[in-house]
Amino acid sequence: MRSLLQGKSGVGKAEYLKTHWQDELPVAEIKKSNEELAAMTGADAKWPRTALLSAIAVQEALATHKDSIQNLRTGFFSANTVGGMDLTEQVYKDFINDTIEPEFSNIVNHECGAVTELVAKHFGLNDFNTTISTACSSSANSIMMAAQMINNGMLDVAIAGGADSMSKFTLNGFNTLQILDKEPCQPFDNNRRGLNLGEGAGYVLLMSEKAMQQCGATAICVVSGYANANDAYHQTASSPDGIGNKMAMSHALKKAGLQPKDIDYINLHGTGTANNDSSEGKAVEAIFEGCIPKASSTKGFTGHTLGAAGGVEAVFSTLSIRDGVVFPNLRWATQMEDINWQVVTELQTGQDIRNVLSNSFGFGGNCSSLIFSKC
Amino acid sequence: MSGEFLLTKPDYSTHVLSCVEPEYKEYIPVMQLRRMSKIVRRGVVAAKTAMQNAGIEKPDALSIGTAYGCLQDTESFLGKMIEQEEQMLTPTAFIQSTHNTVGGQIALLAGCNGHNLTYVHRGHSFEHAMINAALYLGEHPGENILVGGIDELTENSIKALQIAGLITKEHLATDDVINGSNDATVGGEGAAFFSVTQQPLSGRYIRIRALDIFKEYDEAAALQKVKRFADNHKDIEIDLFLSGRNGDKKYLQFYNSVRTEIYPLVADAQFKFCCGEYPVAGSFALAMLFECLEQKGCVPEFMELAHPTGEIKNVVLVNNFGSYYSCWLLELAV
Repeated sequence: MRSLLQGKSGVGKAEYLKTHWQDELPVAEIKKSNEELAAMTGADAKWPRTALLSAIAVQEALATHKDSIQNLRTGFFSANTVGGMDLTEQVYKDFINDTIEPEFSNIVNHECGAVTELVAKHFGLNDFNTTISTACSSSANSIMMAAQMINNGMLDVAIAGGADSMSKFTLNGFNTLQILDKEPCQPFDNNRRGLNLGEGAGYVLLMSEKAMQQCGATAICVVSGYANANDAYHQTASSPDGIGNKMAMSHALKKAGLQPKDIDYINLHGTGTANNDSSEGKAVEAIFEGCIPKASSTKGFTGHTLGAAGGVEAVFSTLSIRDGVVFPNLRWATQMEDINWQVVTELQTGQDIRNVLSNSFGFGGNCSSLIFSKC
Repeated sequence: MSGEFLLTKPDYSTHVLSCVEPEYKEYIPVMQLRRMSKIVRRGVVAAKTAMQNAGIEKPDALSIGTAYGCLQDTESFLGKMIEQEEQMLTPTAFIQSTHNTVGGQIALLAGCNGHNLTYVHRGHSFEHAMINAALYLGEHPGENILVGGIDELTENSIKALQIAGLITKEHLATDDVINGSNDATVGGEGAAFFSVTQQPLSGRYIRIRALDIFKEYDEAAALQKVKRFADNHKDIEIDLFLSGRNGDKKYLQFYNSVRTEIYPLVADAQFKFCCGEYPVAGSFALAMLFECLEQKGCVPEFMELAHPTGEIKNVVLVNNFGSYYSCWLLELAV
């Protein structure tokens, strides 16, 4: 939060990820070793880094309610895209060359679901755990499902969001797509060059009203709207007009029973790629015609944390409501030519933020929007 | 499913059961087909077949379960990245390595702009996709959602699963899987899709009356949970107990107890010897039951172990993939 208020970006040179691209491609890395991360929650440093990051954020999300939710049906909805790839890629060569036996522990948690389960077990979350993987929209979808299950009375409490760590696999994959910025990224700038990858984890704690009473909890906001749509245009690119983006935003508004003018802040997906920001920008323009709310991408701070992004930005959306702040869209310099509105570039405080829309779009055409409303 | 599959008892001696590949050209344009890995082709064709059978051109939504995702493309990119020391890589395999590739491809080919989710929660991936379908239909009554289970085997995943003690290192024969008590079982893979609605679209359908899932390391505790499931639905007369037994001695006692203590008098069939063990094998079991519908509510003779019966209506499917258990109560409507 302090970094967000001070405009301090996490983008810089990779120190812990060992890659050929260390000097060329900046990333938003958590500046701690796996051992240091593990020590923060009493986890095992041999876990995949994604699980270590996840555990820290889950611990924060549970905070004071760890004990009070004991007798309630609690779900853990965690998304990720990378699973245990950070470890697998270290031993894969040995494994296929038949020298694996001593290092099997490094691939045993390769699956995305394994990451969720390590963390669930660590915190004794046994009632319902699930893992969603829809690329960059993954953790927005876990929040959506958690809200649905609580609304349906299937659960009382949910910890929902996601995590993803840096891996050579992802960095090289995005690099082949030629959408990585060699400088710190400039989302929604006319001269943007691409995205920076980031790592992190973010979860929100959701409760039914009954559970809140039982725990003596007070809510900052509610998940009032959600929607998931598919662009059905291209496996990795967004349609020029953002068909899926528009559908996700308008369906979420409908679900929340809100009009476009009711939204006070949009936490944009805003990766910094030419394609995303243009499609998203036009989609926002179409949905919010004449009443464009304050909007910013926080990826200038965090980089694109992929499967964690929806969770991390849900936390930012919640903080925006709680503290009445709008976070700046870092490093913005030039107005985009193809849209007629502008992002917020300076921190705004003392705002009455009642409804926040958070966008998460990804590969496979997956588009998700969440709306958080002040209680 | 099509052709000769499931008409006769399979006869093998193997450690894995691979997919029977259809003629993909009949379903997918050759240009697109060339870029698709095994799991993507299978998923797309299974989805198209399900849509065809249900008379749907475009699903309203999609919900897919896959534990391992697109292994072939993941390994292809990973292998090259290591071999070429992060140089001169091309994007195709990376693009198709993401877990939601099949969901994205189906949406693309069918022009489906609707809700589209992929669950990757190990042995419950398919079941979670089905729970999501129920949540979706609850909010969108009258719509249809395509639900699928997909997973593929690769040479290296077989090796890993053998080290993990899941897939047998020795060859097993069909009857070893049906009746044996082995250290592990035959591995499997597959793709199965279903069009799911709140109201039946045609005369023949399977109604999911209940689905209970749980994770349990202790077999005795798992048995108690199945008992509770049975108790909750004891007013429904069960015609068939379809079990996920697979000849792995670790789960033999569990399935024997479910049979003798909970469903002692009903017909008893199993399906894993037809598809092998894989995380979303529950989707195969459902698909197999559709074959039974085609055969007017009868289970192929070779699948029934005891108390054979004629027409079946209510089925209890109890399945497990390691510590991931699921109990389905299904009604076959012929």
